Amino acid sequence: MSELHSSGLVEREGFFRRLLTLPIRHLQQAIGSLGDLWRTPFTSVMTIFVLGISLALPATLHLFVKNAQHVSEQWDSASQITLFLKLSTSEKSGQNLVNRLKLYPEIATVHYISAEQALKEFKILSGFGQSLEYLDKNPLPATVLVTPTQRSSQAQAANELLAKLLKEREVEQGKLDVEWLTRLEAMARLIEDIVVGVALLLCLSVVLIVGNTIRLAILNQKDAIAIMKLVGATDSFIQRPFLYSGAWYGIFGGLLSCVAVAVLAEYLTGAIAELTDLYNSSFELQGLVFNEILTLIGFAILLGLLGSYISVRQHIRAIEPNAD
Amino acid sequence: MINFSNVNKTYPGGYLALKQVSFSLAAGEMAFLTGHSGAGKSTLLKLISMMEKPSSGSICVNHNELADIKYQQIPYVRRGIGMIFQNHNLLKDRTIFDNVALPLIIEGVSHKEIRKRVSTALEKVHLSAKLRCYPHMLSGGEQQRVGIARAIVNKPPILLADEPTGNLDPKLSLDIIRLFEEFNAAGVTVLIATHDLGLIARMKYRTLTLKEGTMINDGIVDGLQAKGGIDE
Repeated sequence: MSELHSSGLVEREGFFRRLLTLPIRHLQQAIGSLGDLWRTPFTSVMTIFVLGISLALPATLHLFVKNAQHVSEQWDSASQITLFLKLSTSEKSGQNLVNRLKLYPEIATVHYISAEQALKEFKILSGFGQSLEYLDKNPLPATVLVTPTQRSSQAQAANELLAKLLKEREVEQGKLDVEWLTRLEAMARLIEDIVVGVALLLCLSVVLIVGNTIRLAILNQKDAIAIMKLVGATDSFIQRPFLYSGAWYGIFGGLLSCVAVAVLAEYLTGAIAELTDLYNSSFELQGLVFNEILTLIGFAILLGLLGSYISVRQHIRAIEPNAD
Repeated sequence: MINFSNVNKTYPGGYLALKQVSFSLAAGEMAFLTGHSGAGKSTLLKLISMMEKPSSGSICVNHNELADIKYQQIPYVRRGIGMIFQNHNLLKDRTIFDNVALPLIIEGVSHKEIRKRVSTALEKVHLSAKLRCYPHMLSGGEQQRVGIARAIVNKPPILLADEPTGNLDPKLSLDIIRLFEEFNAAGVTVLIATHDLGLIARMKYRTLTLKEGTMINDGIVDGLQAKGGIDE
């Protein structure tokens, strides 16, 4: 733009001085756009509510997935592998096997139950205590309970580990109930996919809502924009307050969605406590943590900016000044 | 400062608004532009301020060849042209101070400098007492003077005025023209489009007369000569 002659007589302020005042001008425009929202309270509140609810839905679904994952973590012990050793295996060989298993990177813990210990437990738990006295030898094998690490707890990894353990010479048989784990994982994946799909649709709706609100604001100020262009305003100068409005919608919409999710979580806590009491279990619903709140608000700001950017790019350039 | 060379302007639909218009306005010159309604006065001013593009021919304004100006550069060209309109084109929801300060705010001038320059501009048009008023609180003549203050506040080298005295009584009209003379005396190039033949005859400035898009006269004219471009 250096070759361009704009004003021959006016003394211009230095580039660096103008650069220094740039953040102040941005701040003024940001506050000014907040004032614009204040001047149209009905439209602003309605838009913020629509944004808040639209964002609260995927945030709630995220909360649901997060809590489901938390629950499934508690169920990871269900992927425990039970190894039944050969009857001929001595106590010493059993201990050797345990020591070897502890070196497996896929295994978190190993618990050895000797044949005698197993019989003792069986006597107590089965109620056949006295009948078992008539047996001349212990029919139960020694057992090793293997808990895989978190990474190896998933169905496929746990199955691979079982196949590996079955190759140990002391092991007669191994047991892993993976079918329900596979189903649970498939279900969790499906829910996650649904959450992503719904979130994408709702984010698109947020962008469209903000875009449409900004479009109406631009059309409302069409004459003022034309006058600004006449006196030398660039498109970026004119569009800046509208972009800030989009960001404000995002901030307030994001905050509202956080409040909505917190209220919903609080509302569900009582019902969940009642349900878990029935199963003699204790489960506490996890709400949004600070990082998640920041992410949600940041994401809402991005969506607001995107919606307003699309709108200003499309409409502000189309407004041309007219001297008539 | 302003140079038109064989400029034609045809609007969509085939209406020929300007035909082979050529003229030059030197830096610091003041001239009137006259002609009947639809003669092409407003089109000519719109071409200078880049609100319209010529169909053919070349226009040079403030050392800028307008055909070479990209869309993003247009605002910077406009900052060098102060524009005054019959309907004032003021922002209704802003005070007089804010309206006059607008070109300076756009240019990123500091607050202190804005206050200083707006005060000077409003003093020149004798509206210092009205800076906190809104446009609807002022008379037509006062609103016109606000428009003039806004046009000169960033000291542009060119002033364009489209029927600046259209709705004003003769005394106010003369006051406004005296203001333009003051700016012209300070070195500003001034081009005033007007129907007011009496004013043209009284001021004895160079007059460009348009008739059906063609420049039929260029020079100092009396009222009757200018009338030829309007009545026939």
